[in-house]
Amino acid sequence: MSERAPTSGRSTQGALAERGFAGVVLGSGVIVLLLLGAIIVMLAIGSAPAFREFGPGFFTSFVWDSVNEVYGAGIMIWGTLVTSLLALLLAVPLATGCAYFLTELLPDSLRKPIGTLVSLLAAIPSIIYGMWGFFVLAPLLSAFFLAVSDRFVDSPAIYNFLIGISGTSIFTAGLVLAVMVLPLITALFVEILGATPVVLKESVYGLGATRWEVIRNVAIPYGRRAMVGAVMLGLGRALGETMAVTFVIGNATRWSPSIFNQGSTIASTIANEFAEAGFGSMKLAALLALGLTLFIISFGVLAAARALVSPRQG
Amino acid sequence: MAVVTSPLAARRKRTSKIVAALCMAAAGIALAVLFSILFTLVSRGLPALTFRLFTTETLPTGENGGLANAIVGSLIQVGIGMAIATPIGVLAGTYLAEYAQKSRLGAVTRFVSDILLSAPSILVGLFVYELMVATTKTYSAIAGSVALAVIAIPIIIRTTEDMLSLVPVPLREAAAALGAPKWKVTTLIAWRAAGAGMLTGLLLALARVAGETAPLLFTSLGNLNWSTSLSEPMASLPLTIYQFAASPYGDLVELAWAGALLITVGVLAINIIAQLVVGRKR
Amino acid sequence: MADAAPVTPTGERAQISVRGLDFYYGSNKALKNINLDFGEKRVTALIGPSGCGKSTLLRVINRMYSLYPDQRATGEVLMDGQNLIDEKVDPTDLRARIGMVFQKPTPFPMSIAENISFGVKLHERLNRAEMEARVEWSLRKAAIWDEVKDRLNSSALGLSGGQQQRLCIARTIAVKPQVLLFDEPTSALDPISTAKVEELIAELRADFTIAIVTHSMQQAARCSDQTAFLYLGEVIEVGSTSQVFTAPREQRTKDYVTGRFG
Repeated sequence: MSERAPTSGRSTQGALAERGFAGVVLGSGVIVLLLLGAIIVMLAIGSAPAFREFGPGFFTSFVWDSVNEVYGAGIMIWGTLVTSLLALLLAVPLATGCAYFLTELLPDSLRKPIGTLVSLLAAIPSIIYGMWGFFVLAPLLSAFFLAVSDRFVDSPAIYNFLIGISGTSIFTAGLVLAVMVLPLITALFVEILGATPVVLKESVYGLGATRWEVIRNVAIPYGRRAMVGAVMLGLGRALGETMAVTFVIGNATRWSPSIFNQGSTIASTIANEFAEAGFGSMKLAALLALGLTLFIISFGVLAAARALVSPRQG
Repeated sequence: MAVVTSPLAARRKRTSKIVAALCMAAAGIALAVLFSILFTLVSRGLPALTFRLFTTETLPTGENGGLANAIVGSLIQVGIGMAIATPIGVLAGTYLAEYAQKSRLGAVTRFVSDILLSAPSILVGLFVYELMVATTKTYSAIAGSVALAVIAIPIIIRTTEDMLSLVPVPLREAAAALGAPKWKVTTLIAWRAAGAGMLTGLLLALARVAGETAPLLFTSLGNLNWSTSLSEPMASLPLTIYQFAASPYGDLVELAWAGALLITVGVLAINIIAQLVVGRKR
Repeated sequence: MADAAPVTPTGERAQISVRGLDFYYGSNKALKNINLDFGEKRVTALIGPSGCGKSTLLRVINRMYSLYPDQRATGEVLMDGQNLIDEKVDPTDLRARIGMVFQKPTPFPMSIAENISFGVKLHERLNRAEMEARVEWSLRKAAIWDEVKDRLNSSALGLSGGQQQRLCIARTIAVKPQVLLFDEPTSALDPISTAKVEELIAELRADFTIAIVTHSMQQAARCSDQTAFLYLGEVIEVGSTSQVFTAPREQRTKDYVTGRFG
């Protein structure tokens, strides 16, 4: 058997490898930090001309006029917030119901396959949701409103309102976003409700509580913070979604207060109008300023979500 | 004592039943909608799914085009994107799991990575546009690949860190007790023990970027002709689907549905494989 | 140096001498002024109630604690005239001289042969034949060769718990250390596997200096030459195993070995 020969040369070589590897992994971590920094800097530099031109009024102006090169983000901020809130309004109750159904009402044998199905649905590319909205949901909605309008021929005001509703609108976009974030929020809710300590649940069952009472009085209060965080994550997804919205919102850059009219979100406007923005144009700067706005909004929402959901989750 | 059902108990039971019914209704609605999506996808995509799709490039309406250039373009860009993202993501995830558990810089990096994980993908497109397209004055496949890499990196970081943190401490200590330096404990033991989980993370990232459209809109731009040059605009499946679906021509819309089915099946297949990889390991 | 070599209470030359050792987890002092000699090619058992510091003492000897930034030690752990807890001593070289076997079996997720060669490759360059010989040698030493010789290339995770633990012992001795540290090596094993591991420890005494932490007083009595009783981070009593168990000098030792607390 050969003897061990711990030469000092090998030892320094080892120390070098040790420090080298630590440096490489640290460097990769720093790349991630630089990435976020670069995104912020790039958006800020690119949008500077727009902010110089329009000032803080950019955020509050409801004018987006490509012909006269006057741009404000008001319409898009409104569209972004309204579609996302609408989506949550619909998706959160549905997700709560689905999560309760999945965790409590479904037999054990079905729970795993259905749970897998939910997570698979969350993986479907968003463009598919957009196409479904455009080719299935929008025609269905316009047919629905047309059919309903027939019953109001006697009251012209309502009739005219209903007949004026198109299939593509802020409302439709909200619906499609709701469908899109539903699997995400449901999956997170299932995880949170499942994390309630069994002892806690059993002790309440032991007092004679019904399933619903256990969920309502134990599981939901126990997971409330995490559930709010999950909703915020859904909100973050909805705020920045591009493809699912672009298909169904109509991409109108005229201001209208009705959610049943066509509108636009920040992301849909960037996607739609970018082709018309030349290198170095004011329009490009305005679109980048929209991007920066979206970044600030979603950064705030995501940071709040992270603070609520423990950093190891979600 | 006889069993007496008090009015209160009856009401509580009724409430429980009503809630159960409402929840079933919610699940029913959700299932109906999701079934509708899958049904539409299959019923409109399947008839258009022909062999020609894979052999012919995209052509103007009425000329019997396919999706070959878009499929190849997607493969190239996703491949390069993953090739860029994998080492960075794995190493950064390793940093978080093995070297930065208690450090401040680690906490900041973890937070930033989580923000990137959920950041709107269109912003990544804008960023890479400013970084690579505006500076070179040309849209390019490599810009698209970089955008996809930026999307994939935080996903890989998250799964790598999660999987490494599942590796039992005694296993690392046993390797260290044999005299293995930390970098060998990490690369030879921890990576190996977490291998299946880390592979799953890579597959999930792959599935995610394969379906991304928004980051490619103004980076690789799309191309209706054959091009495999990395410095020129390149077609990709999601972008072609987007362009064709919004077109007024029936034959192109049909192609879009075929592409949509293709990409969904691909993405779901990768997800299922990913789950199997983890499942078999457990 | 040899003339001043420390000796154990039972009169053997000490392989490792601990002098004035203090140890801290953060600000919590877990070991207080430990003085203890481990006789060369003898088995020293460390006994005491949970949390007394016996495992901590093992983890100081092979510098395991240095993996964790908030743990530190002061004092001396002398081996061959060198203070092992000196920052200048490379912990990876030191661990080649002092091997450790853990509470639960920790097979690496690789084949049986690779489990053995992993540690050897860290310290030596062997050709294929030498490595094969080393694998066989260590597996024979650990009394597991006959059970695994036909499946050296299959995964170590497929072995039973007792076999895994003996594989871990083989893996440790393959590096050819002078000292073996056992941290409750049988606490996760069934009685039959425990007996095999204990037999093995008795045989290994011929070649290695051994320290074993154990919860089981029978185990300490069965396989050790010298026993140290630790309580609340201090060595209360140390002596030959028969003396500590049959005629303890300290009341606390007596209470512990007679099962009055623990």
